[in-house]
Amino acid sequence: MTNPQTPTDTVITLSSVTKRFGATTALNGVSIEVERGEIVVLLGLSGSGKSTLLRHVDGLEQPTDGSIKVLGENVAGLSGRPLRTLRSKVGFIFQQFELVPSLSVLENVLTGALATLRGPRLGLWSYGRANKLAALGHLDRVGLLDRAYQRADTLSGGQQQRVAIARALMQNPEILLADEPVASLDPESSDQVMALIREIALDRGLTVLCSLHQVDLALSWADRIVGLRHGEVVLDTPTVGLTKAQVMEIYGRVATTTSELQAIEAELLVGSIPDSAR
Amino acid sequence: MSTATRTSAVRRAGSRSGAREPSGPQTPPGSAAVRAPRRRISPERVAAALTLVALLAASIVALNSIGIDPAKMARSWSNAERFFGRVGAITFPEPGELLYFTALTVGLVICGTLLAAVISVPVAYLAASNTTPGNGWRAFARFFGVLTRSIPDVVFAMVFVLIFSLGALPGILAIGIHSIGMISKMFADAIEQIDEGPRLAIRAGGGSKLQEFTAGVLPQVMPSWVATVLHRNDINLRGSVILGYIGVVGLGMQMSFAFKSLDYGLGLGYAVVIFVLCVAMEVVSSAVRAAMLGIQPTGRGLGDRMLRGLRRIRPGSERLGVQAAAASPAAMLRRPWNGERVRNTVWGWIAAAVVVGSILICDIQWGDFITVWAKVPEIAAQFWPPSFGSYDASAMFEAMGETISIALAATLLTVIVSIVVGSLAARNVAPTRGVRAGMRLLLVVVRGIPEIILAIVLIVISGLGTQAGTIALAIGGVGLLGKLLADSFEEVKAGPERALTAAGASRLQVYAGATVPQGLRAMIGHTFYMIDCNIRSATLLGIVGAGGVGYYLLNASQGSHYGIVTAIVLMILVTVLLVEGLAIWMRRVFR
Ligand SMILES: Nc1ncnc2c1ncn2[C@@H]1O[C@H](COP(=O)(O)OP(=O)(O)OP(=O)(O)O)[C@@H](O)[C@H]1O
Ligand SMILES: [Mg+2]
Repeated sequence: MTNPQTPTDTVITLSSVTKRFGATTALNGVSIEVERGEIVVLLGLSGSGKSTLLRHVDGLEQPTDGSIKVLGENVAGLSGRPLRTLRSKVGFIFQQFELVPSLSVLENVLTGALATLRGPRLGLWSYGRANKLAALGHLDRVGLLDRAYQRADTLSGGQQQRVAIARALMQNPEILLADEPVASLDPESSDQVMALIREIALDRGLTVLCSLHQVDLALSWADRIVGLRHGEVVLDTPTVGLTKAQVMEIYGRVATTTSELQAIEAELLVGSIPDSAR
Repeated sequence: MSTATRTSAVRRAGSRSGAREPSGPQTPPGSAAVRAPRRRISPERVAAALTLVALLAASIVALNSIGIDPAKMARSWSNAERFFGRVGAITFPEPGELLYFTALTVGLVICGTLLAAVISVPVAYLAASNTTPGNGWRAFARFFGVLTRSIPDVVFAMVFVLIFSLGALPGILAIGIHSIGMISKMFADAIEQIDEGPRLAIRAGGGSKLQEFTAGVLPQVMPSWVATVLHRNDINLRGSVILGYIGVVGLGMQMSFAFKSLDYGLGLGYAVVIFVLCVAMEVVSSAVRAAMLGIQPTGRGLGDRMLRGLRRIRPGSERLGVQAAAASPAAMLRRPWNGERVRNTVWGWIAAAVVVGSILICDIQWGDFITVWAKVPEIAAQFWPPSFGSYDASAMFEAMGETISIALAATLLTVIVSIVVGSLAARNVAPTRGVRAGMRLLLVVVRGIPEIILAIVLIVISGLGTQAGTIALAIGGVGLLGKLLADSFEEVKAGPERALTAAGASRLQVYAGATVPQGLRAMIGHTFYMIDCNIRSATLLGIVGAGGVGYYLLNASQGSHYGIVTAIVLMILVTVLLVEGLAIWMRRVFR
């Protein structure tokens, strides 16, 4: 608000973004604003466009219509080095972790620094001592320092996701995007990972945009929930004082058919079972 | 991605429940013959089937015309006895010389293969659908690969021998260029099979295209690439023999000198050495491949499946609270020397030593690379325009026809023998473990035999030409086709076999009713690959006196009639490309 270059402290702005894949409309006039330091959860059924939306924020997908501003830059207009610089300020955590299986944990973390390096890198030694030290620090932060030299595919799922978090930290990001980061983890590791992401975000004042399936988890974890349905925003509200019943009710109101409502209940309530079982 | 996994999970669950409660077939009234749907036959399939039949007929005719009959072979055996009586014992060169030429041959082949591997990296990058910058680049890279593969290395060697005169360089360059075709194709296939996720993650982190490749693609394809290079190195060692006949240094050249000076004992001695060397190389490289795959599971191999199983059994130790004492980041800067690192380092140094040794022994005249350019235009002018010189065009076409006949006849023989041997070498077909092990061993040994050496030995011993060449090709082919068939039989789904066994079918009925039908497509594919290989090899057989167009090729090059060389190369090129096109078409139709 004080700096004329960045008139507000809004770090992500989507203005009526539409994305079509052939006949499918994945996003339909989506407008969202995310403030610096906010922790926002995207809720929605399978196919509602969560992943597509997140990919747009990182410039991995170009919108058919509308505009996207991230950290004051117009993402759609960027390419080459400026785009890569922007991407480096945005960490991305994937559902399937997406580590390079045959590389060591440390080298996987180091790939987060590639945007700051020029030219190809092969092997640990090529990243330099300072980067290695930083990467080991991030591994320490996620509690996997002792695994640094192990092959990434010898770790458990929860450990791999923590390595992926360390890789994102290696980018020194301002924004953290996470696409169903715990969907392929067991309840225990998934609690660990979600807690870790929140802790780190609060520590470093990161802005987080994370897609999830579980309403319960979203309510306890996020500052704000954005609900997607068929590529449209049907819900955008702070979580303070919000109950699960209210969320379900909103989804119920926008569901057009009973079968759709059942699907919503099935999908969104499934996520709550491990929580209530605990 | 999650959508995909979820739907496939649902589908899997669905099919499982479907298996549990089989719904009885619906039986509406009416005679079965009336209700049975007409089988739809596409004209393309008919055409392809007819082509197959025509090829089979042509192969039988070819086999007949070449006239391989056992009686004649038996008669030529007495020929062999007389031969050995005349020649006396096999003699070997003195140890020092032998060692030097062996090292030189191996070094030259390794240098050539490595050169091809290095050039193949960018070619594969352009040719793979997921890394190529554009379809134009892709088409160009593929064409380049096919071209280098279709021109025999002998032809490249002829050209380079002219340019570089002496030394190992012509051989290295000939092997290096000719091998690009196969290596780049297999490299590109490996790139296309990677998991795109890690690469996407690197892109999302701001990595450039080149960084995506080095950090996300290379580590994934490395094991498969190394296996490809080792495999090609074996092939090149076997092929290097014939390069000796046109002036590339090494064991092949020594052997050709010995035969030319009618010192058959020494020539056969060299042949034995080359044979042993090829088998030894085959054993070493398969050991290296196995060791390497043990260290770096590909995700598909048996070792990997076992590893994954172990991981599942062992619970996450950290979850049980037995976190090893983690030192500080600074203390962890040094990578600990565990068994794996020691092993990798030792292997790395051995590999480096082999490469350096190879380059040193080849004694490459690097200066040549600067001076030769002046000669290029003049030599290029000698090769153009193509002409048949003093030969009749019809004689040339006849020779090409003979080459094709040899290839087809050899393929037919190979297929017949390979179906028997390959089946018996397949785990699910072999009657006992012993039979399978014996057949697999036989295949490894046969694969190690260089066809050319076999042809040379057969020609020298039996006095026959074309027949000897055909038999040599046929035997050599069994090593490859037998293995490919055995592998495809082992890969068929076990369900149908079990179902037939459960229904009381005999072993042979299971084989004919379940194993062969499932493996048929692969069989056709491999057979075409065999024809492809045999046409290439058959063009070279003439160089050692086994009939076909190779004889004219050697003559033309020795008589400096390079226009004729070009003409013959064009004929070979057209034939090989035709066969390749046919193979692609067959694979598509019978998919
Ligand atoms: N590259 C693509 N090509 C074609 N269609 C696509 C592509 N990516 C996404 N879609 C479609 O866009 C829609 C939204 O997909 P998206 O992956 O964003 O959903 P999601 O909310 O992330 O679902 P899930 O919870 O299953 O991950 C779907 O209908 C999907 O089929
Ligand atoms: Mg998704």
